[in-house]
Amino acid sequence: MLTSCIGEESFENSNSGNFEALWEVIDRQYCFFDVAEKEYGLNWNIVHDKYKPLAEACEDDAELFKVLGDMLGELRDGHVNLTSMFGTSYYWDWKLDYPLNFSDSIQRNYLGNDFKLTNGIKYTALTNSAGTDSIGYVYCGSFAGGFSVNNLSMMLLELKNAKGLIIDVRNNGGGMVTAAESLASSFTKEKIHCGYIRHKTGPGHDEFSEPEEIYLKPSPGVIWLRPVVVLTNRSVYSAANYFVMLMHEIPHAFILGDATGGGSGLPLNTTLPNGWSVRLSACPMLDAKGNDTEFGIAPDMRVDISNIDWLLGRDTMIEAAKMLISEYYDKKAEEKAQ
Amino acid sequence: MIKVRNIALTAALLALPAMSMAQHAISDTIRSERIVVKSTQFGASFMDNLDTYLSGYKYTGGGLHIGHESFRDARTGSYRWKYQILFNSRIGAALQEGNVQIAGMLGCSWSGYHPFKVCKGLTLLAGAQIQAEVGALYVPGNGNNPASAKLRTALAASGMAIYHFPVLGNDWVARYQLDIPLAGVMFAPQFGQSYYEIFGLGHAKGVVAFTHPLNCPSWRHMLSLDIPLNAKRHSTTLRLSYIADLYQRNVNNIRCHMYSHSVTFGFVRTILKVKKENTIKAYSPY
Repeated sequence: MLTSCIGEESFENSNSGNFEALWEVIDRQYCFFDVAEKEYGLNWNIVHDKYKPLAEACEDDAELFKVLGDMLGELRDGHVNLTSMFGTSYYWDWKLDYPLNFSDSIQRNYLGNDFKLTNGIKYTALTNSAGTDSIGYVYCGSFAGGFSVNNLSMMLLELKNAKGLIIDVRNNGGGMVTAAESLASSFTKEKIHCGYIRHKTGPGHDEFSEPEEIYLKPSPGVIWLRPVVVLTNRSVYSAANYFVMLMHEIPHAFILGDATGGGSGLPLNTTLPNGWSVRLSACPMLDAKGNDTEFGIAPDMRVDISNIDWLLGRDTMIEAAKMLISEYYDKKAEEKAQ
Repeated sequence: MIKVRNIALTAALLALPAMSMAQHAISDTIRSERIVVKSTQFGASFMDNLDTYLSGYKYTGGGLHIGHESFRDARTGSYRWKYQILFNSRIGAALQEGNVQIAGMLGCSWSGYHPFKVCKGLTLLAGAQIQAEVGALYVPGNGNNPASAKLRTALAASGMAIYHFPVLGNDWVARYQLDIPLAGVMFAPQFGQSYYEIFGLGHAKGVVAFTHPLNCPSWRHMLSLDIPLNAKRHSTTLRLSYIADLYQRNVNNIRCHMYSHSVTFGFVRTILKVKKENTIKAYSPY
């Protein structure tokens, strides 16, 4: 017993060995086989048989990298990548087949030159033509860096006269889920249930832990309780997708735009015998109703940037968000009058 | 009170020559409840680390090893016991096909032994040991799972063989120690569980696992040789050691091994404790 060794995987550093090592590590650790099978009929064993002869026939590492990257593409998951000296393999189709719905040139017409910047977040107050009412516009293009409570509080205090807030996360490809939580926690004054997380407990495709609840706790800083509209497009992915999932459960928040790109599996890394790094989705996150968000979250209101607005330099989504916030106050005024 | 203390101190000092005579055999095996043998060791380590939470393939490399041992005799009731406190720390870097891993471990153990005199010069000791270890393996390129934290404690069986043998009229001491963990607990994330889920969301259910020789078949071997460098003055004893720490586990479908082979050297210091509050150096090689 004491002489029994707990050793490494037995794959060789060869075309065949690296192929089998990659196929098996995905087979054991990837968490969305059931979702992919339902969505588009993925069969990982068929993928093995399809790519094995291709991998074995490769004449150099560059060719092998291409074949292995293509095999990972069968998972249709932006969180699954292979990284080597030849670069990183990506699956992009989750967003390339959809409207862009974002232009930084058009965005510049709204941000102007006087916008403020904190922790990578750009913000300004959009005023109407009379200059009487204002709506806060906050653009968060990444969750790669963390946000401090003080910075977020200062930003919300600067916008304290705005009657509503537009949180624009379009083209936000993700980053740290803790950063997404920090921002979302500025919009709730009580702890709310926002979803579930699971993890794999063994190598079988169906070996998962029971879903554990995810709660959003209020920020210790300034809390914004006026209307919030979150703008999304198909390039909202990973931690940004998680942010939208959290905001979806906030009563005074409204999701507007296109469906998000998804990427709800928390990725973990491992390596192959030749040292190439593999990233794969390992922990699925579900929304508050228990639905998988791997392939995106539908908005409360679908809005695309119209062709005319592209030409006019107008952002249809921002305009729709402004209108929604105005309508909210009009309704409130009507209710008060009655 | 002061007088009584002074008398005790004087008596102890007068007894020193007699003790010094006994230093002829000073080493780990000296049978006096008042002698503590301490040694700090420095050396190099070869490391072979596998943790499938980070990678399915092992990282090999080297690093520094610093250890400290305190070994003392004590009288408990009518029995003689020996106690050992051992600290071992390793820090180093290892590679797997160009990927870098930083490893750092700090271990501590407390052991109690009962000695059995087998024949002239040879003593066997058997006892129990409490082990505790903390550390981490860190792979900078590993995104959301860059590190694997190590935290464990265990009750182990421990045995020792101490052999005195003369070399050119000097008393050399060879010692072999074997520690085998029998039962313990350790921090063990689930197969695909992220640290974010454990520490960020507080989903820590099941991350403490019970360990035993079937899921954690490990052992530690230590071999040392004490060489008196100036036997007449009993002033300096050099200790050369080899430590093979072969730790393994297979818990929650995560396989891990941390094999280290360290070669260390250091000097032995023997302290005569007269009373708890009054410590007198019998001699020191420093």
